Amino acid sequence: MRLLLAEDEQALSKALKAILERAGYTVDAVNDGKAALDCLDTGSYDGAVLDIMMPVLDGLEVLRQLRARGDLLPVLLLTAKAETDDKVQGLDSGANDYLTKPFAVRELLARVRAMTRARTAQTGSRLHLGNITLDRATYALSSPTGSFRLSSREFQMLEMLLCSPGHILPEARFLERIWGQDGSTERSVVWVYISYLQNKLKALHADIRIRAVRGEGYVLEAVE
Amino acid sequence: MTPQAFYGAAYPQLCAAEQQLVALIGRCPVARDSGDGEKAVLYCKSRIKAPESMMRKLEKNGLPPTGRAALEHMHDAVGVRAVCAFTDDVYRVASWLSGRPEVRVKTVKDYIATPKPNGYRSYHLILALTDGPGAGITAEVQLRTIAADFWAALEHQMKYKHTVQHEQLIRDELKRCADEIASVDLSMQTIRELLSEHF
Repeated sequence: MRLLLAEDEQALSKALKAILERAGYTVDAVNDGKAALDCLDTGSYDGAVLDIMMPVLDGLEVLRQLRARGDLLPVLLLTAKAETDDKVQGLDSGANDYLTKPFAVRELLARVRAMTRARTAQTGSRLHLGNITLDRATYALSSPTGSFRLSSREFQMLEMLLCSPGHILPEARFLERIWGQDGSTERSVVWVYISYLQNKLKALHADIRIRAVRGEGYVLEAVE
Repeated sequence: MTPQAFYGAAYPQLCAAEQQLVALIGRCPVARDSGDGEKAVLYCKSRIKAPESMMRKLEKNGLPPTGRAALEHMHDAVGVRAVCAFTDDVYRVASWLSGRPEVRVKTVKDYIATPKPNGYRSYHLILALTDGPGAGITAEVQLRTIAADFWAALEHQMKYKHTVQHEQLIRDELKRCADEIASVDLSMQTIRELLSEHF
C-alpha cells in the first residue's frame, strides 16, 4: 500500500517515513503542498498524510483541490493546532481524519489503517444491477453469458451510472469526475465512452442499458 | 500414418471440399459499402485433420479409430478458419455463408455471444456441402476476429503442452487477456460505427 507523506519539518518527516515503512507501507515524502499535489496527480496512492502548516500551499488547500477534482483518496490531516474550529474546517474540507501533534505513533498507525481499510473494503466490492456485475477491483464487467475487462475510464463511467441508477447524470459530471476540469477535453469524448459501454452491455445480453436524454445527460435503466 | 492411408478413397473428396470452401469464402463480398473495398475476411486457413489427432478424438468418444468412423461421426475432418477485422464482420460472413445454395448449415455454435469459460471467442458453423466437387462432405468453419485469433493461437499452444509451470496463473491471465481483447474489439467496432455515422 502506497502513502504520500507531506510534512515540512525534516526531522519529523524522516521519522514518520521510517515508522510507516516499517509498518509495511511504501512512502513518498514531500516537503510542501505544491509537491504534494503534483504527486497526488498521478493517482497512484492509497492514502495521504498531510501536515496543515506547509510552505507554498497549505495542507487544507491541497485537500480542497484534491476533492474539487473528485478524488476520494483517504486523507489524514496533521497539525499543531488544537482548536475545534481547525478540526471542523479540516473535516469539512474533505479530510477523513485528523490528528493533533504531538501524537502517539501507535495512534497514527491505527488511524492510517482505519482510513485505508474503508477504501480497501469499498474497492474490493462488486456492484450489481439487473444481470450485470461490475468488479471494482478488476474492472471486470460480467453477466451470466460472459465478461469484459473495461478500461479505467469506461469503468469509472459505468461505476458512476451504477451508483445512481434511474437518475440522469449530466455530461459535465462525467467530464469533471473522469477527465478533470481543465476544459481541454473535447466534450464528445463522453458520447464515445457511452457508446463503448452501450455496445458492451448489449454484447453481454444485459437487461439494463444506458439511455441518452437529449440535452440533459445519460441514465442507466432497465431494458423494457 | 499418411492422411491418404487413413481417410482412404474419401481423401481426394475431402481435399476438394476444403478447396471449395476456401474458394467460396474468398468470394465473400467486401465488408460494407464503405467505398474503400475493405474485405470482410482478412485471411483464411484450412486443413485436413491429421490422422493422429483424429484417432485420439475418436477414441475419446469411444469410437473405432478408423477413417470410416471419422467421416461418419466427426464433422471436422475438413476445417476452415476465416479471420475478420471486426466482430460484426464475423456475423456478416456467417450470415452470407449460411445463405449460399451449395451449403447446408447443420449446427451453429456462437462462442462470441456466449464465450467458453476459458475466454475463447469464435463463431463455429458445421456445414454440409450439397453441390460441387466436395458434395456430401461435412466441414467445420470457424470465424473469429484477428485479435481473438491471436489469443486462440497462444491458448492452443498451452493446451498441447504436457506440463505448464504455474498452470492456474497462466489460465487466469489468458482469461483476463481474452476479456480485454474482446473489450478492445468492441471498442474498435464502436469507433468504426461512429465514423460511419459521421460522428
